Amino acid sequence: MASASTATDNGVPKPSSSPLPVDASPALQVSKRLEQFKTTIFTQISILALKHKAVNLGQGFPNFDGPDFVKDAAIHAIQGGKNQYARGFGIPELNYAIAQSFKKESGITVNSETEVTVTSGCTEAIAATILGLINPGDEVILFEPFYDSYLATLAMADATVKTVTLRPPDFAVPEMELRTAFSNKTRAILVNTPHNPTGKVFSRKELELIASLCKKHDALAFMDEVYNKLVFTGEHVSMASLDGMYERTVTMNSLGKTFSLTGWKIGWAVAPPHLTWGLRQAHSYLTFSTSAPFQWGAVAALSAPDSFYQELIGGYRTKKDILVEGLKSVGFKVFEPEGTYFVMVDHRAFGYEDDVAFCKHLIEDVGVAAIPPSTFYIDPKNGKDLVRFAFCKDEETLRTAVERLKANLKRPALSS
Amino acid sequence: MAMSSTSCCSGLLAKRSAAFAPSPIQQLSLLAQRCNAINLAEGFPDFPAPLEVKEAAIAAIQAEFNQYRHVQGVCEKVAEAFENTHGVKVDPKTQVTICCGQSEAMAASVFAVVESGDEVVLLDPAYETYEACVILAGGIPRYVALDPPHWSLDVKKLENAFGPCTKAIIVNSPHNPTGKVFSHYELGAIAALCCKYDCLAITDEVYEHITFEESKHISLASFPGMQQRTIVTSSLSKTFSVTGWRVGWAIAPAVINAAIQNIHVKLTDSAPAPFQEAALVALQSSPSFYVQLQQEYKERRDFVCNMLIQAGFSNFLKPQGSFFVFAQLPDKCPLNDVDYVAELIKEAGVAIVPGCGFFHQKNWTTMPAIQDHPASADKLHMSEQGLDMAAISGSGVYLERFVRVAFCKDMVTLMAADAAIKKHSARLNSPSA
Repeated sequence: MASASTATDNGVPKPSSSPLPVDASPALQVSKRLEQFKTTIFTQISILALKHKAVNLGQGFPNFDGPDFVKDAAIHAIQGGKNQYARGFGIPELNYAIAQSFKKESGITVNSETEVTVTSGCTEAIAATILGLINPGDEVILFEPFYDSYLATLAMADATVKTVTLRPPDFAVPEMELRTAFSNKTRAILVNTPHNPTGKVFSRKELELIASLCKKHDALAFMDEVYNKLVFTGEHVSMASLDGMYERTVTMNSLGKTFSLTGWKIGWAVAPPHLTWGLRQAHSYLTFSTSAPFQWGAVAALSAPDSFYQELIGGYRTKKDILVEGLKSVGFKVFEPEGTYFVMVDHRAFGYEDDVAFCKHLIEDVGVAAIPPSTFYIDPKNGKDLVRFAFCKDEETLRTAVERLKANLKRPALSS
Repeated sequence: MAMSSTSCCSGLLAKRSAAFAPSPIQQLSLLAQRCNAINLAEGFPDFPAPLEVKEAAIAAIQAEFNQYRHVQGVCEKVAEAFENTHGVKVDPKTQVTICCGQSEAMAASVFAVVESGDEVVLLDPAYETYEACVILAGGIPRYVALDPPHWSLDVKKLENAFGPCTKAIIVNSPHNPTGKVFSHYELGAIAALCCKYDCLAITDEVYEHITFEESKHISLASFPGMQQRTIVTSSLSKTFSVTGWRVGWAIAPAVINAAIQNIHVKLTDSAPAPFQEAALVALQSSPSFYVQLQQEYKERRDFVCNMLIQAGFSNFLKPQGSFFVFAQLPDKCPLNDVDYVAELIKEAGVAIVPGCGFFHQKNWTTMPAIQDHPASADKLHMSEQGLDMAAISGSGVYLERFVRVAFCKDMVTLMAADAAIKKHSARLNSPSA
């Protein structure tokens, strides 16, 4: 039987030395473009949270598990001997299931053999898309705040990054800033919708604006849609479904967030054949193929009835309400999320100079961990007033967090 | 109903991905599938993984180890095993990264150390992915041909490939496709060059536990001066017959490992969590597991070598490790490797792999030396002494004369393949052609 992991785990990645020291011997120096990428903020916060026994609303993964019918399918696959290399771009059954799912979401029929690629999580889909389709020196537009792996992967591809800042309260797409960011050197724009960390769901109008600029400048759209099943307000619109966009869009998703199985690392990219070709090449050199038994689990997952998704949203809506209510009651300015399981708040009522200082106080004195989002901006100042909380936790955990906030978080004005 | 306006988007492909063409191997693979051929082509087993390892994975899924997870215990077991086997001390906290298979460990390692313009020495024949990783990282592959039929390493030729721009050499031992296990002498020579030119070594040791007779697997990292300049990559896949689980690792000096770790996190975030848990059990296997693994593979190796001899193959290195035989086509066979493989699929229903995909002669730094091959049956036991190394004039014809046969298959499969090949040979030799 499986022996338990050591007590130091708890899902906390092992800390790497940070920052990378400059080594005396030139031959041993790591490639320059990667020196800036140190231990992630998530690791640092998690270590601190563990140390102070804080309720962890920083990590963006659930503390509850996925559904039995999906796990059973994976177990069945292991027992049934499906433990050898899966076809590089995905087992046919999963590619087919993804194509079916994509059709339901976007209305577009795709060829599961030539337009669907299975990867080790959406993270790898993004890496393969960027490394396969971006040339050194190409310009790529990112919305900030951005998920931290985007910048690192773009650096690996030697891309030039142009950012467009989304600002509270709506985190609306600033049209003029976006138009200015596009040029004839723009190869692609990377859009995460629903959006981590803001909880924003890009509106149809916003996506149409982006689409028009992509067409005008002959650029690609890379869409990270891992939270597309977690929408509370409005609707998730598939960029690929907009007029003239399928031929220039890579749509990416994964199993992890929807089915609470983030550790299985099953993701995928849907794109027309001429784009799929490039990302498949990169994928074949990055990981060669994706875990076979969990692909079988994913096949079962994607056969879930509509009621599964309705319950999913219902459950997350309840969690959202518990947390948002709690955050408002203690004095945060809350930017109610339209989707995802994240919420951003303004912490300035509590008198701390920036998000890092506030989050440190939150862990050490209040007993709740959250993420300081300044790390998700090119210029950290753009995020210093904000904090990201995650509500992908069971209700008891959320209630405990809210209790601690109410008991221990004090506003300067109230303490005189 | 995919939009087919490829003309507008053809310029959108990254130039580097356009350089990678589909291999003839892929076409043959499709043919093999269509003909339902017996698969001695692909390097994965058709027999089950060890039961206790599978059960460990299942238990992990049931115990809800299904979220992002880093299992530090795997690093500890990897470090411990490496120290026990190779005598090199490894700090599991700072020197080991768990990746999605050795594939990702290699990709992350190459990205960590190779920059635009760096040269990386590769030994031919070579698994095709190494070059692709080097090119993706902006590096330049520099090939040195191993000399058939023993695939020996000519140290002078190797040194010619090193220069001021050399960042690293990639060494795969036990070796795919040839089945060679690099000798202590050869590894020592490589180590000496790495130290002399102050460069790195990245190793692929996935077949480390599949060796035969006296050919023990030695890690380059165990040589003097190499511990601080070697990245070792390996995985569970071949040892535990779980090629589809994607659990591998890199072992490297702390500074380099930190970079590998950071890149890995950006490429895939983590290896599948339940399989990391299962790795804890796998890596605790008793010595008798490894002994049995070798015995079973030796039996298969001997069977397949006999099969090939009876089919007319006579000039090949009897594998010292890995689960591949790299055999030269019989002299009297007029076909090249690709055509031979296609015919074997269609006529005998057995799939093997043409060797051409492993050779990169356009990038050789020096021409190989090739030995005249006497048509004698005990070639398999040739020793190093008494070989005449005659240089060829660069025709490179032998590059299309090798085929790779995998024996990581159940004996039932191998016997079926043998029967099919015998039947095909009989048909070919029958007077009523």
